[in-house]
Amino acid sequence: MFGLIKTWKALEARGIMGINRRNADYVLKYNKRNLYPIVDDKIITKERALAAGIHVPEMYGVIETEKQIDKLDEIIGGRSDFVIKPAQGAGGDGILVIADRFEDRYRTVSGKIISHEEIEHQISSILTGLYSLGGHRDRALIEYRVTPDQIFKSISYEGVPDIRIIVLMGYPVMAMLRLPTRQSGGKANLHQGAIGVGVDLATGVTLRGTWLNKIISKHPDTTNAVDGVQLPNWDGFMKLAANCYELCGLGYIGVDMVLDQDKGPLILELNARPGLNIQIANDCGLTQRTHAIEAHIEMLAKEGRSEDAEQRVKVAQGLFGHVVPH
Amino acid sequence: MRSLTLHLKVLITVLVLLGVAITAYQIFALGIPVTEDETDDLWNIDAKVEFVASSKDPVKVQMFVPPLNRDYVSLNESFISNNYGVSINRADGNRKVTWSARRASGNQTLYYRLVLTKRYSTEKTKIKGPTFRDSQAVEGPEKIAAEALMAPIRQHSADVETFVGETIKRVNNLNDDNVKLLLAGDTSSMKKAQVIDLLLSIAHVPLEKVHTIRLVADTPQTPELWLRSFNGNDWLYFNPDTGEQGLPNDRLLWWTGDDNLISVDGGKKASVTFSMNNSEMNAIRLAKLTDENTDADFLEYSLYGLPLQTQQTFMIMVMIPIGVLVILVLRNLIGIQTLGTFTPVLIALAFRETQLGFGIVLFTVITALGLSLRSYLEHLKLQMLPRLSVVLTFVVVLIAAISLFSHKLGLERGLSVALFPMVILTMTIERLSITWEERGGGHAMKVAIGTLFAASLAHLLMTVPEAVYFVFTFPAVLLILVGFMLAMGRYRGYRLTELVRFKAFLKKADA
Repeated sequence: MFGLIKTWKALEARGIMGINRRNADYVLKYNKRNLYPIVDDKIITKERALAAGIHVPEMYGVIETEKQIDKLDEIIGGRSDFVIKPAQGAGGDGILVIADRFEDRYRTVSGKIISHEEIEHQISSILTGLYSLGGHRDRALIEYRVTPDQIFKSISYEGVPDIRIIVLMGYPVMAMLRLPTRQSGGKANLHQGAIGVGVDLATGVTLRGTWLNKIISKHPDTTNAVDGVQLPNWDGFMKLAANCYELCGLGYIGVDMVLDQDKGPLILELNARPGLNIQIANDCGLTQRTHAIEAHIEMLAKEGRSEDAEQRVKVAQGLFGHVVPH
Repeated sequence: MRSLTLHLKVLITVLVLLGVAITAYQIFALGIPVTEDETDDLWNIDAKVEFVASSKDPVKVQMFVPPLNRDYVSLNESFISNNYGVSINRADGNRKVTWSARRASGNQTLYYRLVLTKRYSTEKTKIKGPTFRDSQAVEGPEKIAAEALMAPIRQHSADVETFVGETIKRVNNLNDDNVKLLLAGDTSSMKKAQVIDLLLSIAHVPLEKVHTIRLVADTPQTPELWLRSFNGNDWLYFNPDTGEQGLPNDRLLWWTGDDNLISVDGGKKASVTFSMNNSEMNAIRLAKLTDENTDADFLEYSLYGLPLQTQQTFMIMVMIPIGVLVILVLRNLIGIQTLGTFTPVLIALAFRETQLGFGIVLFTVITALGLSLRSYLEHLKLQMLPRLSVVLTFVVVLIAAISLFSHKLGLERGLSVALFPMVILTMTIERLSITWEERGGGHAMKVAIGTLFAASLAHLLMTVPEAVYFVFTFPAVLLILVGFMLAMGRYRGYRLTELVRFKAFLKKADA
């Protein structure tokens, strides 16, 4: 009992955010319910992003009804690699990544050979709402397959590593690189066993990481060090994330981005309830940073000013960047 | 944000205060017992009337019975008599029963039985009484003696209360010559009361003789004489022998006035013997009986006013918020993961039918079998709705099979299964299997155990008989619960499991 109180006090002192605080002070306060569909439906997110001139993976087509499944061939065209996703999927479920195609068979990114019928069944499952939040009917999205930048080759196992930046009212507050592992099955979700690696907001250099709630500094599959890696085009990521506030109107979001070999930083999806493990990856509490941003916004409001995305990135980098490595 | 917080605080305060106030009103003002075990005394009084009838004349027996207008309420009253006509009439605040028969002979026995209890409601009815009366005429030496006694009494008293008290004290001083003269050698209570009456009448102070019965079980007794005087607001009771003021709580007022308890025409050797015993009765049931016998209906607007069948449903329903509260605490304070939000409450309700231990076994078995079916169906690549239908049907068949087997084995417990909500089980299986696929078996087990634990705890708390009684009788308690839930709505501290989850930070700090 005494130990628990001590733990509580220590966590509080370090500004670690708990689920209750995240929900009460940030998600409920900054995220309007009626804006949720923008982030929950990947197709709407994509349309909004395109309208705002923000880079996203190209959308080949959308399948809304069982009848339209017949149009799959038409949508794919001559492409040999593509991704099929449920529009309202959660946690990376139901995503089918096709890496290659020969005759009428397809090879997934993990090397499994599947037939055209199996793909159609997968789409049908998506449409019935098997993967959607709350089991509603859903739409299937067929889009460009991201090829991760070579920089990640040494520190990731299969899959596509992505970058998650938490954005409060347009100000990036914390960033993390998510690396798939053998255990996560190529998925970049931390609760499925992926690694989260903290990123310095100012420089884009990786810090140490978290794996299954523990602090680590090496990738468990490749045993390469995950810290000290310079992510390319970091300011591009930061600006992309900061722009998402105008894109969706939600005040507290997690922006998931990838670095494509050819197309550079792309937005994958937005999350209205970003997880809290990013704190372990960065070895830093979110509450301190969000309070600093809230104070900054209050100051701006008093002066009657507002800042654009570029200025916001500068402010955030000035406040939280250049972390002294432990 | 700040105004919202203030708004919330005010709302919580209002709800909690309202809940506490209503409950306190019910407990203290209406006197509704706090626990079900609380019982009230129920008095059973028998008055046995015996006399010898003379065969020539018609018989008419008159006896006073309690007027029951003060602290007691009658639940049942009966007059047991063969061949006698019975009538009751009220006069001067007394009630009198008249038994009459044209012809009777030999020893006669009549019974009067009264079942009564203390009145629940404490509200006072307006009491009226005389405050003035004319003096009784006295002549000669008695007048001198009375006046001699009056002088010091007047000096030593300030109001009606002290005046009466002082008078009784003087009259009980048997060495006083004036008193001796007035009593004329008779020192019985009755004679003393007469003298007191005389003295007070000279001072125009009203006085009534009150005949009471003591509510004590299994002791034979005769009516005890008390005196009472009205002071403008209330009756003041005095013991004629000791001057002691105030009627003890166990006295039941039987009749007032100078008349005898019983008068018999056409008979002789009349005697009345009292016997009484008390029994205890569940306070709420007693209150309901009381309600039926009086106009006071304080239970009318409580849940006890509902038909019995509905009451039983409500006894379960009012406990659901308690179960929900358990889930709320487990999820938001402790951080235990459960399937869905209120699934554990529904499972807890199902445990009512099956008992806890058996329910857990049943739940585990059916869910495990259902999960294996579900994973088999997964290979068939079925769509969601057909798959769910298959699982539901399988659950029904499984429950039927369990019921049949246990019946054949002579375990009646198995039959209660039929009421175990099948849809809840089906949804549990479906959700659990999705969790299994998405988050892996370990996580699914964790969630399943969390759900079972939450359901068991909710079930245990929801079936505590004292709690059920309390919430059912004082539903305003739910307002207090709502206040707590509202407060939880803005709780932003850590969950207990988060302290473990973020332990990595601490190791750092120590190193």
